[in-house]
Amino acid sequence: MTAPTVPASAGAAPPTDRPSPETGSSGDGPKTGPRRSLTPYWLLLPAGLWLAVFFVSPFFYQASTSVQSGSLEEGFRVTWDFSNYSDALATYGEHFLRSFLYASFATLLCLLIGYPLAYMIAFRAGRWRGLLLVMVIAPFFTSFLIRTLAWKTILSDGGPVVGVLESVHILDVTSLLGLTGDDRLLATPLAVVCGLTYNFLPFMILPLYSSLERIDLSLHEAARDLYAKPATVFRKVTFPLSLPGVVAGTLLTFIPASGDYINAQLLGSPNTQMVGNAIQKQFLNVLDYPAAAAMSFILMAIILIVVTIYMRRAGTEELV
Amino acid sequence: MTITLSGVSKVFGDFTAVHPLDLTIPEGSFFALLGASGCGKTTTLRMIAGLEEPTGGSIRLGKEDITRLPPHKRPVNTVFQNYALFPHLDVTENVAFGLRRRGISSVQKQVEEMLELVELGTLARRKPRQLSGGQQQRVALARALINRPQVLLLDEPLGALDLKLRRQMQLELKRIQTEVGITFVHVTHDQEEAMTMADTVAVMNAGRVEQLGAPDELYENPRSTFTANFLGTSNLIEAEIIAVEGEDLRLKAVGADTVLRLPAQRCAVEDPRAGGKVLVGVRPEKISLTHADDSETSDATGAIPEGSNLLTGRIRDAGYLGVSWQYVIDSPVCSEFSVYEQNVERDARLTPGAEVVLHWRPSHTFALDAAQDADAGTVEETL
Repeated sequence: MTAPTVPASAGAAPPTDRPSPETGSSGDGPKTGPRRSLTPYWLLLPAGLWLAVFFVSPFFYQASTSVQSGSLEEGFRVTWDFSNYSDALATYGEHFLRSFLYASFATLLCLLIGYPLAYMIAFRAGRWRGLLLVMVIAPFFTSFLIRTLAWKTILSDGGPVVGVLESVHILDVTSLLGLTGDDRLLATPLAVVCGLTYNFLPFMILPLYSSLERIDLSLHEAARDLYAKPATVFRKVTFPLSLPGVVAGTLLTFIPASGDYINAQLLGSPNTQMVGNAIQKQFLNVLDYPAAAAMSFILMAIILIVVTIYMRRAGTEELV
Repeated sequence: MTITLSGVSKVFGDFTAVHPLDLTIPEGSFFALLGASGCGKTTTLRMIAGLEEPTGGSIRLGKEDITRLPPHKRPVNTVFQNYALFPHLDVTENVAFGLRRRGISSVQKQVEEMLELVELGTLARRKPRQLSGGQQQRVALARALINRPQVLLLDEPLGALDLKLRRQMQLELKRIQTEVGITFVHVTHDQEEAMTMADTVAVMNAGRVEQLGAPDELYENPRSTFTANFLGTSNLIEAEIIAVEGEDLRLKAVGADTVLRLPAQRCAVEDPRAGGKVLVGVRPEKISLTHADDSETSDATGAIPEGSNLLTGRIRDAGYLGVSWQYVIDSPVCSEFSVYEQNVERDARLTPGAEVVLHWRPSHTFALDAAQDADAGTVEETL
């Protein structure tokens, strides 16, 4: 090196040629006026109000409900009765377990189905890319309920799907695994998992696609140039770079799937009920609001813990 | 190892990026593919790397035919234009990538040595986004060189750097090439870069190699108007051959009575004969100016050497560049004659409007086929 000073000094700190956005939240210095530093708060206002009315207040309302006792006739009062929580866990522990099991299965299936598709759309689709993306979101053009009802027909006893799976003895395998029984698909755990997978698949594909699509193709070329076989290019470059999409996609699938009750209601049986069904029943049929609220909070707490552990593990901040 | 391209071509749809190309790149050379954007130089490089499959022809490395070999099986590495560093890996892992893919697990020592070579030892644990452009460039270079490739391909590696850093990296690359002795194939659109670094330059234009040779050979004796204009600047004058006298040609410039002379071997026209039309060229720095009043005198300072090619003209513009003066001169044969005079003992009378005599040695003159576009390869045409 003839004159190492130039790059060495330039590299002493990360390049700062991009001006950092003015957040206005702290230490703006004397140059920025008060009006400018308020702008971010104005921008936050609509979402803030919305969340205050439709999330924060119901949150506290339900929190208080969850520690009430009484009955519908006599009215509920806050008695700090935490037995609602222990009772809910004792009675519906199985429902919680089932919810997370089904949601995990569905998330895994979504990833296995969605990743190849997102990969294909991002790298191989050429001019069909737009059309394929529209097709991914096309199911949203009809309602969630209608689509799930359609699955009821698809999986119905004596229907073509059951017939085919029966004739190739797949149903025997799944029945051995405890996913189906009595040579039927409807009203089995498999049907619920299939419904969840189908309904949440776009939430997996879209984040996967957007993170794959951002990968610079020259990175693939660089990897191939550096002796990586196609499979290694995927393992060492493409997949690690798509991890933010994997994390976002799994969260967007897992979280709503674990709280879902429509799929279990329409495609399952009393033996496949998820915690969402239990909450719904408590709220709308039994009218035991404190129990329903307690269950909601338990569900929320478990999801928060699971997601926190997951995000820590995935270390998403290291990426991108 | 020697790279041999025989009849290699590349067609994209109905666009021929590279016309059948024969090229031999000798072992250990610093070879530059020079041309404007879209001339096929990068496509040629990518075909050597295996990132593009040739439509026709074959590529050999030494004796082995590598035409259909996938990139990961070629002993060739590339420094990409945008560096293409893996953003999720730190500097060490970026540099170690190729070694690990070949199953070498104890990479630490080699990586350290390589980072030492490009002087990045202290940044081994940084991520690419925490590096400046020049540092990223070095990482890209180290990542390719650590594999000890038979050939290193460089695709406009300095294009993203600012001028000062680029000059420094040019010398740096040249030093590293001498140190490691690997064949470097360098793609660039910067003629100065090609001339400073390469020992052989292939000038490419519209998918074909216009001329190939050492930088000084290309510059001193261009064989086409594209080379004459793309490498530096040339003054081109339309002229007619009036006589072939042994080793010399005598020509008459169109629009002037003056007779110009040049050695026959500096004429790019095959079999020059009297009556043939050519474009006579001369580089601006080869020309000397003498004020018209002094043109007849024979004292030491302003004297015109015996046997020089002469033209008369009037200074239209004089620009001061520090190291030199640049003149634009109107002459009957060429409306914008460029002349660069070294900034030593300048005749104070050489100001716009002054009548001057331009003179240069016949051996600095070259002649090109008049059938070509005289403006090919000029800045205006390229932009």
